[in-house]
Amino acid sequence: MRVTYPSVGRYRLTPSSIHSPLSPGAAVYYSGLSIPRDFGYMKYTPWDARRAGRLGLSRSWRTIVLTALSIPFVCQTALAQHEHSSSEFEVFVAAEAVGSHPSHPRDDDDPWLDADVIFGLTHDRFRVFGEYFITPEEHDLERFQVGYEFVPDTMLWLGRFHQPSSAWNTEHHHGRYLQTAITRPSIESWEDQEGLIPQHITGALLESRRQVGSDAGVQFSGGVGAAPALAANDYQPITLVGGNPGKHGLSLTGRLAYLPDYAGTSSAGLLWGRDQVFVRNPAALAILRSNHAILGVYGAYTDWTVEAWRFIGAGYYVDVEFDRPTSDESFISGYLQAERQLSYRLTAFGRVEDSARMQESHYVSLFNDHSGDIDVTLRRVAAGLRWDYARRQALSCEFSHVVSIQRRAYELRLQWSAAVP
Amino acid sequence: MVSRGTVKKIAANVLLVLLLSTVTSAFAGEELVLIVSSGSNIDQLDSSAVRKLFLGLTVQSNGNRLRPLLNESDAQLKEIFLQNIVSMSDSTYDRYVLQLSLQQGRKQPVVYRSNTQLIDSVAADPAAVSYAWVRDVEHDGRIRILRVVWHD
Repeated sequence: MRVTYPSVGRYRLTPSSIHSPLSPGAAVYYSGLSIPRDFGYMKYTPWDARRAGRLGLSRSWRTIVLTALSIPFVCQTALAQHEHSSSEFEVFVAAEAVGSHPSHPRDDDDPWLDADVIFGLTHDRFRVFGEYFITPEEHDLERFQVGYEFVPDTMLWLGRFHQPSSAWNTEHHHGRYLQTAITRPSIESWEDQEGLIPQHITGALLESRRQVGSDAGVQFSGGVGAAPALAANDYQPITLVGGNPGKHGLSLTGRLAYLPDYAGTSSAGLLWGRDQVFVRNPAALAILRSNHAILGVYGAYTDWTVEAWRFIGAGYYVDVEFDRPTSDESFISGYLQAERQLSYRLTAFGRVEDSARMQESHYVSLFNDHSGDIDVTLRRVAAGLRWDYARRQALSCEFSHVVSIQRRAYELRLQWSAAVP
Repeated sequence: MVSRGTVKKIAANVLLVLLLSTVTSAFAGEELVLIVSSGSNIDQLDSSAVRKLFLGLTVQSNGNRLRPLLNESDAQLKEIFLQNIVSMSDSTYDRYVLQLSLQQGRKQPVVYRSNTQLIDSVAADPAAVSYAWVRDVEHDGRIRILRVVWHD
């Protein structure tokens, strides 16, 4: 029988390179069975389950966190009967078809159907808010935040949130209807899509918007909390339901933005992040030769609307520090997307993504899982057209040329997206 | 002698003038006003605060958090609202409030398509702010007019 070995990053594992104790994930692989893909974000294995209590958040910690988060929610439910409470419920749905040449498996970012459920409850200054993302392959509580609005437009949140130093994700989150392009820039990928930067943090988030002069404003967001743990091929953020294997380091993230119009749609600003991540997989540890890393993220972004034009761009410099004697690494990634509104509710768009030094990075190579799909995109040129043919419904098509670490391909995507109700 | 065709032309012109004057008088003197409940302690709101409120941001008056109610009881009201209150196109406004909902779980302004229901809701809620034609609210003792938003 021909044996195919699993791989981690650019390295193919052989029995001799996987030191004992062999992870059950690999064991399951060797037995010819597939590894359960996920329970939410977790690529859960018995190995994970055994270590969850010792290295991750302990069960008692999880109980405390969940109880703390649920108390205000229960209170709010009771208070919702009062006339000054209000609730919000919105579902963003999308269906997508992809073709590629040369053909390759669908990317992790390409579920054929997904639904992003948003629910919120507001009572006076308190707000409870969640985002639940569902695809045929995964379902997870992506965000769950309990907040208090000290003064108008200044909120302190506790819970699991999207870190504010991502220009794209803090704008579009998981809902596809509100993003004009079908694909998201590779550097903004989520953790389970081999994203290079931690995106889901559990802790506290402060968001504030203050007026400057008569029209303009500044926006500040700062997050502090537990970063994801680094597994073999991806980050594993803390889940509010289920186990949390691995050790979770400190994450500090922030964004400072200038708004030419306090209540407008344009903004530009600076992004910063510092994530301490712990490696929880022996194979990844062998590749990095460091059991933890510190990611420094320095960036700038703009999302600017000028009449019928909209420009979205961001540039990131990512610095990766390892334990000595492993030498540090850095890479750069950025993108610029231009959109133009046309007649008949059509919007044309184009995006260019590029990067530097990602190919040489051991850290980046960890996220390339040799599954044959496009994991880490080095460069992409994309163009497309969106048609908002009905209220809160759109059809989009996007054609792109992608260069990843392993392959080049042309891709054509068609998408239907909507917001309900 | 005047021909039959000329008489028809004159009659058609007269009819057209009459129709136009009827339409003009229907909109002449129309005023869109900002309204609150007569029991509300909301002070005057400037246009910047009104815009923020209807965009879904937090606006307070005398310590009360205000609640915006959208009046879509007729098409012209919506057009004036988009042009004169939020200064956005219909699609941009819709995306803006959806975005706030996606980003922070903020409540989107409630839409009323019945004028009567809207006025009843404003009258019943001291924190509610909306807008309506002056002719629909000027004789309603439950409603207080804050100011004129638009006039013909």
